[in-house]
Amino acid sequence: MNINADPVPDTFVRVAEVWVPKEGRLVHAKGDYVHSPAFAEASVAESFAKGEGLPGKVWESGKPIVLKEFDGSYFKRVEAATEAGLTSAVAIPVFAEDTLKAVLVLFCSADADHMGAIEVWEYMQERLTLVEGYYGSAKEFEAASQDMVFSHGQGLPGGVWSANTPILKRDIARLGSFMRSEQAAAAGFKIGLGLPIPTPDDNVVVLTLLSAPNTPIAHRFEIWDARPECVGATRQAQLIDGLCEREGALWAQQNPPVDPPMAHAWKGPIGQVLGTGLPYVQREGAGLPAGYTSMFALPIYREADLAYVVACYL
Amino acid sequence: MQKMVIIGAGMASGRMLEHIHESDPDAFDVTIFNAEPRGNYNRIMLSPVLAGDRSFEEIVTHDDNWYADNNITTRFGERVTGVDRERKVVIGEKGEVPYDKLILATGSSPFIIPIPGHDLPGVVGYRDLEDTDAMIDASAIRGSSAVVIGGGLLGLEAAAGLRMRGMEVTVLHIAGHLMDRQLDETAGYLLKLDLEKRGIKVITEANTKEIIGNGKVEKVLLDDGTELAADIVVMAAGIRPAVQVGRDAGLDVGRAIKVNAQMCTSDPDIFAVGECVEFNENIFGLVAPLYDQAKVLANTLLGKEDVFTVRELSTKLKVTGCDLFSAGDFAEGEGREDIVFRDPKRRVYKRLIIENDRLIGAVMYGDTADSNWFFGLIKDGTDIEEMRETLIFGPSFQGGGAAASDPLAAVAALPLEAEICGCNGVCKGDIIKAIEGGVTTLDDVRTKTKASASCGTCTGLVEQVLAVSLGDDFEIKAEKPVCKCTDLTHEDVRRLIKAQELKTQPAVWQELAWKTPNGCHVCRPAINFYLLSDWPLDYQDDLQSRFVNERNHANIQKDGTYSVMPRMWGGMTTPDELIAVANAAKKFDAAVKVTGGQRIDLLGIKKEDLPEIWSDLNNAGMVSGHGYTKGLRTVKTCVGTDWCRFGTQDSTGLGIKLEKKLWGSWTPHKVKLGVSGCPRNCAEATCKDVGIICVDSGYQISVAGAAGMDVKMTESLVDVATEAEVEEWVTAFVQLYRENAKYLDRAYKWVAKVGLDWVKEELSDPDTRKALVERFDISQSVYQKDPWADHVSNRAEQYKHLADLTLEAVT
Repeated sequence: MNINADPVPDTFVRVAEVWVPKEGRLVHAKGDYVHSPAFAEASVAESFAKGEGLPGKVWESGKPIVLKEFDGSYFKRVEAATEAGLTSAVAIPVFAEDTLKAVLVLFCSADADHMGAIEVWEYMQERLTLVEGYYGSAKEFEAASQDMVFSHGQGLPGGVWSANTPILKRDIARLGSFMRSEQAAAAGFKIGLGLPIPTPDDNVVVLTLLSAPNTPIAHRFEIWDARPECVGATRQAQLIDGLCEREGALWAQQNPPVDPPMAHAWKGPIGQVLGTGLPYVQREGAGLPAGYTSMFALPIYREADLAYVVACYL
Repeated sequence: MQKMVIIGAGMASGRMLEHIHESDPDAFDVTIFNAEPRGNYNRIMLSPVLAGDRSFEEIVTHDDNWYADNNITTRFGERVTGVDRERKVVIGEKGEVPYDKLILATGSSPFIIPIPGHDLPGVVGYRDLEDTDAMIDASAIRGSSAVVIGGGLLGLEAAAGLRMRGMEVTVLHIAGHLMDRQLDETAGYLLKLDLEKRGIKVITEANTKEIIGNGKVEKVLLDDGTELAADIVVMAAGIRPAVQVGRDAGLDVGRAIKVNAQMCTSDPDIFAVGECVEFNENIFGLVAPLYDQAKVLANTLLGKEDVFTVRELSTKLKVTGCDLFSAGDFAEGEGREDIVFRDPKRRVYKRLIIENDRLIGAVMYGDTADSNWFFGLIKDGTDIEEMRETLIFGPSFQGGGAAASDPLAAVAALPLEAEICGCNGVCKGDIIKAIEGGVTTLDDVRTKTKASASCGTCTGLVEQVLAVSLGDDFEIKAEKPVCKCTDLTHEDVRRLIKAQELKTQPAVWQELAWKTPNGCHVCRPAINFYLLSDWPLDYQDDLQSRFVNERNHANIQKDGTYSVMPRMWGGMTTPDELIAVANAAKKFDAAVKVTGGQRIDLLGIKKEDLPEIWSDLNNAGMVSGHGYTKGLRTVKTCVGTDWCRFGTQDSTGLGIKLEKKLWGSWTPHKVKLGVSGCPRNCAEATCKDVGIICVDSGYQISVAGAAGMDVKMTESLVDVATEAEVEEWVTAFVQLYRENAKYLDRAYKWVAKVGLDWVKEELSDPDTRKALVERFDISQSVYQKDPWADHVSNRAEQYKHLADLTLEAVT
């Protein structure tokens, strides 16, 4: 990883939007559509009933959905999305116990040279099994993933499952460092982000995002710990891990951490998530790290409490 | 410009160089040797690299450019072979370098336990990038196995990393709980749960005997015969300061290179810093004091005054998702007071140790939010008297607001599938469902679910489920708890130990929200009994949780001596046994008493003589009579058909059979049996816990008699035709009593509580009877052993005087 290189604008994730429940429907709350004004126009006026469109389907199923292609699916904004060059999407529900707080939808753009992978792993027969996956042109990696199951603590999905914590893995292409390292190397994947996704039926679901340097999921990742047992009763969060192409490692260099970076409710982008408890999307404006123009952040709950915030900067 | 040579490019010397270059970058012409072929990196972050949570590049502190930018000559990958103090030169493999000031920063080496096979390929320490790479390479083979020897910080981080990479991992730890130097038993128990949740197998009290392999590691053998497959063995059994260079140079070396408070060794031009240092008999392994030393050394070298002092340290395990904190002194001791908070549902445990109104130690698991505040109180020696009541709740509770532990925490934390009523197989979820359906009283629950409708020992728990669900709308009848350590009753605890499959004392303390770190003299014996009776194969009897008589296997008398009473099966003895008893009585000057239980008691035995008298009696074929236990005491018999004109059956023979079946088993209180050969009842069977009256048609079994503070006749349980049936029914009754009664309730008290009808109902089912006997037999496979022989062989030391004070004065 070249941590000193300038951020490359074309990330794998191109559009992020947030839908929140209101009067029995999911309505548009926020979105970053800078590459796709027409798609923005098509989106802001939309709303979805339960089971309707991608956000509505996620609401209904209670777990993330990966949409590999828009055409011929229940997706409602096909024309605008296609016109914007978007090829796939993942929609992530945010549940606090059985209450849906929001749905975060990420739209991706991939071709033969630009790839990323999005996977959804679900608990079945005491293992995590792949239930959905988008791999673009990483066919070898896709084939290897179809055969994989992970037990507790094993690999990135198993590690996320057992720790119930978002995990950012580096060097996943190095032999031995990742259970599918050989195929990851062939596909050019370098970084893996694993997220525990709470579901209303309490089933274990882990979302993994695999990032390649030439089309990274994002250029900067941050994992913030907001659990009261870590940061106390005040609504705040501590940066526990992170990686930035400009600044390098973002984690505390001492153990135990000495003055780790903290975020406070309503202050800055992470503070918005802490304050509202909802996903957040921002384009430009104050609070973004130097050199970045947009970000999205996903809150992860444990039961009714906000536990982690995962932020990606594009 | 003075010439400085540094041996070792680790974190301490790296930090020292940073300080020097910040203050006076031109002060020294620096040459730095490092045996590793690289410069300084953040060694403590190797485990996240192993786990894949960091890349090595991320943990490099000083790269080649940094050394170049600061004009430091690097000799990386070159070992130092000696130091010539007279000529003031460091001798490297590739040549000598003169110095004005020499800094030894040689760090430490992993301790490799010298067991057979320790030098096989595949056995690695855990110290540097090469070790980390070896582990990563080993994990590349799908399905490979790793054994980590050492359950300390480093070993557990290695284990978590290897598991994350997909290996099957077993951690072997020689002590009773993980991280025993940093954590107490409960925190160690929670950590073990967390690691097991990650698929890591943990074996405590594990003694590694040998590492086996043909040309490379293949398996690890423990001294109990366990074999563990291993493609790699990681030795994480501690570190040893690397002092060879210093020692060869003739410096003062103790456990490490001795330095003063300015980090100067016995040579005024040679300094030492980091893990290779000994200061005031302390050696160092954590990074914080190393950085302190680095600062002091930099100042010293720059001619500024500075003094190194040892400070309090805290510990954090770098395993994602494991939140633990430990600082200060957490050993129990005179004048120390514990404050404990547990939340079983959130798996939270906090313990503060206070001495003289000062916080001196803290252990936390699962909730470490306030750890820095507590650490500050420890470091500063703050007087905490004013905030003692709310101290455990952290800084936000100080100066107002009170909080208390939740007496319903244990039941609230129970999963829905936890069985509340063992008699009728009713789970917590069933009761909650009934409550959701409109049930609001205990009677309604009984009607609707059958919970608490049989023996009734789960009543307290059912009421707590009602209280948890209905809140203030339900009022629990106040029942007496086990002791001040808990709000739960004995019956609650028994039920929860079964329902939650709690198999260790720390598991009970934590999951049942005990208010003390590890119980008290009242609850420990009870919990010890419940655990050994419910989980004979899993739980290990804890002698420290027994009353003194049971610990010493003899009854202590009013003058401090002990009584010794061998078993006389069914009251029968032989001339040889009597001679052995008489010889022992003479040898140890014992008073001799014939007891009401048809045995002979030798009184007045000194503690230090116990092993010898037991050995003498063992040699005559006699075993302990357990006259001191909560267990089977005697089986009193009459002479039966062998001698008596009225005898209807072989009562003596039956009594001996029963005694041989039941001896050695632990019970809630003592158990006495009587077998009379006819209704004349010469063995007084009808005032025993279990009495058998032989009649022409067979045997009348009755139970729940008493002849002590209370006098009560037994009540009929069943009439049976054969000795085999007697044995089955009596064994099943004793096991039912073992499994259900409150500790220290005699059988008659227990039967009064649960009702004889329930006992009859349970035992009248042949399958239930059979299962009870099977469980009793399993327990006996562990516990039916003569404690005298065991103590003579294994524990004789504990009976010796601590010191011999009879030596004559020197004249």
